[in-house]
Amino acid sequence: MKKNNGELGFFKRNSEKIMTITIILILILITLPIIIGYFWLIIRSFSEDMVRGFVPTKLTLKNWRFLWSEMKGYPNIWVTTFNTSIVALGVMAIEVLITSLGGYALSRYDFPGRSSIMKLILALHAFPAISLMVAVFYLLKVLNLLDSLFGIILLKASLEIPWGTWIMKGFYDGVPWELEMAGLIDGYSRFETWIKIVLPLVKPGIAVTAVFAFLSGWSEFVFINTFIFSQKFWTLSKYVKGIIGDFRFADYGLVTAVGLFYMLPTIIFFFFVSKHMIKLTIGGVKG
Amino acid sequence: MPSIRVKNLKKYFGKVKAVDGINFEAEDGEFIALLGPSGCGKTTTLLMLAGIYKPTDGEIFFDDKLVNNVPPKYRKIGMVFQNYALYPHMNVFENIAFPLKTLKLSREKIREKVLEIANRMFISEILERKPTQISGGQQQRVALARALVKEPEILLFDEPLSNLDANLRMLMRAEIKRLQSELGITSVYVTHDQAEAMTMASRIAVFNFGKIVQYGTPDEIYDKPSNMFVASFIGNPPMNFLKGFSVKSVNSELHIFRDDVELILPLKMKKGIFESGVEKFILGFRPEDCEIEFESSSNSIPGTVYVLEPLGRDIIINVKIESTGEMVKVFADKSKIPERDQTIHLVPKIEKIHLFDPESELTII
Ligand SMILES: Nc1ncnc2c1ncn2[C@@H]1O[C@H](COP(=O)(O)OP(=O)(O)OP(=O)(O)O)[C@@H](O)[C@H]1O
Ligand SMILES: [Mg+2]
Repeated sequence: MKKNNGELGFFKRNSEKIMTITIILILILITLPIIIGYFWLIIRSFSEDMVRGFVPTKLTLKNWRFLWSEMKGYPNIWVTTFNTSIVALGVMAIEVLITSLGGYALSRYDFPGRSSIMKLILALHAFPAISLMVAVFYLLKVLNLLDSLFGIILLKASLEIPWGTWIMKGFYDGVPWELEMAGLIDGYSRFETWIKIVLPLVKPGIAVTAVFAFLSGWSEFVFINTFIFSQKFWTLSKYVKGIIGDFRFADYGLVTAVGLFYMLPTIIFFFFVSKHMIKLTIGGVKG
Repeated sequence: MPSIRVKNLKKYFGKVKAVDGINFEAEDGEFIALLGPSGCGKTTTLLMLAGIYKPTDGEIFFDDKLVNNVPPKYRKIGMVFQNYALYPHMNVFENIAFPLKTLKLSREKIREKVLEIANRMFISEILERKPTQISGGQQQRVALARALVKEPEILLFDEPLSNLDANLRMLMRAEIKRLQSELGITSVYVTHDQAEAMTMASRIAVFNFGKIVQYGTPDEIYDKPSNMFVASFIGNPPMNFLKGFSVKSVNSELHIFRDDVELILPLKMKKGIFESGVEKFILGFRPEDCEIEFESSSNSIPGTVYVLEPLGRDIIINVKIESTGEMVKVFADKSKIPERDQTIHLVPKIEKIHLFDPESELTII
């Protein structure tokens, strides 16, 4: 692949080069506000104070003090981080398990109601989850899952699963039937064939679903804010909200540091899976 | 090796009658071909033999055992798919070893078996590569190796050569035939290429619209096609047809005629013709069963040369019958090549002609 690109580059004409450069410049220009924003965030979090809001003064770690000292009125940051990871990983595990099974069923089995289910999934996706708030409250109460991270995980996963199933179906649709037939003829059961042949071929889909699930769990705020009452079950989103909304300290240094800390896994995750993401956008998701 | 017997087999997909009541059998170790145009139900039949599709109706026997409900993994079959169906995430070695992993074999034993079959298929050099990194011909061999490695008792081929170039196809055709006869595995070979079916199989089932229209040896199918479909599907170029003939008796001779020609038929055809009760006939003859004359005679059909198609060894003359506009292809003797637009006279070999009923398209003679 690399070699091919090289050869293509060799034959590129000058006008095309100018075109490419122009495109890159435009892209840089468009993303500039975002880049500047993040840059400011990082600088601010390590700086004592900012002159006129954007010139850093003295280098300091003071803003990051929440990592090693207790903040008055807030739970321990590491417990909160742990809670956030539990929610993110839990949502991810449940969603990957169920969407990889459900997507397969939607793609391969022709059962009664299949097309209505698929239409319903699309329709469901259009409704904001917030509209379910009251119903969900009663549901959690009945199940005795109020003020419980497990409740949040179930709730969040169940809201994400339909869409994830749809995405996984697209990936399964791309796996030729013949491969499965070959697996059966080679002496395996349908389940073994799924595990050994089909699943490895939809790995990019699983990766994409997993990342989205993780991030949605990680960034969940509304349900946490509504259904979690004890500080010991706080997650980072709630923590950040607390710091931002707190009138006792309007401490921007602290806010930026906490915000950065909160974003870290997101950035790392995207870094690792960007390859799969590109595959997703190039390959497209076939419905 | 088991024989295969298929009785009144049907497969419907909703309203689509993909396979509609077919019967055929293959002896122990026989190589048979299922031949027919696209969409006529060949693959569906094969997949029922493999156990992937459940028949809507009918029976499949391997020897005397009814296998309708036996899952694929217990059928002792190997299959080569049209697009090879190699597992893209495994390298060539793993692909070939995959069927063996279901058996309780040691790693060494598996390795040994894979290397042996790879050697035989001339793919030992590429065992480490992924399927996307090898040529079509090599993929074909890998698929064959994977089908053979478990020593199946029945081999199923679904148009295995259709993705190869002409030369490679000829080469693999001979190799598969040789391999099959050496191993003596009962084989069913699906193809839409009549040359493949003719050269490889000992019997051919000609399919059309989900039914078998004729089942017989290549010679039978070529010399005694059961209807116009078989006659036009087999042979390259296919049989020529001329429409609108009638039959009459003249002085104890049997004549077949229309406006532009009158031919004398052998008397032995008389019985069949009159018993059929048909009055109008379609006359058929193969391109090689016709002489070209430059002089008119009582037994000849006049036409003009439309175009010449040299094939190296032979030349095909396309002749336009002026009175009806029908096109006829005949092989010409190289010593007697006419020119374009020249008027010539076709003399079909009377012993080799066929007569068809225009209504039912069935063969009369
Ligand atoms: N799974 C299926 N669902 C619905 N219809 C099907 C299915 N498989 C095959 N058919 C239909 O059944 C008919 C026979 O198909 P089949 O694949 O057996 O044809 P074929 O002879 O193998 O053709 P080709 O030479 O093009 O491969 C076709 O009309 C096809 O559209
Ligand atoms: Mg087919």
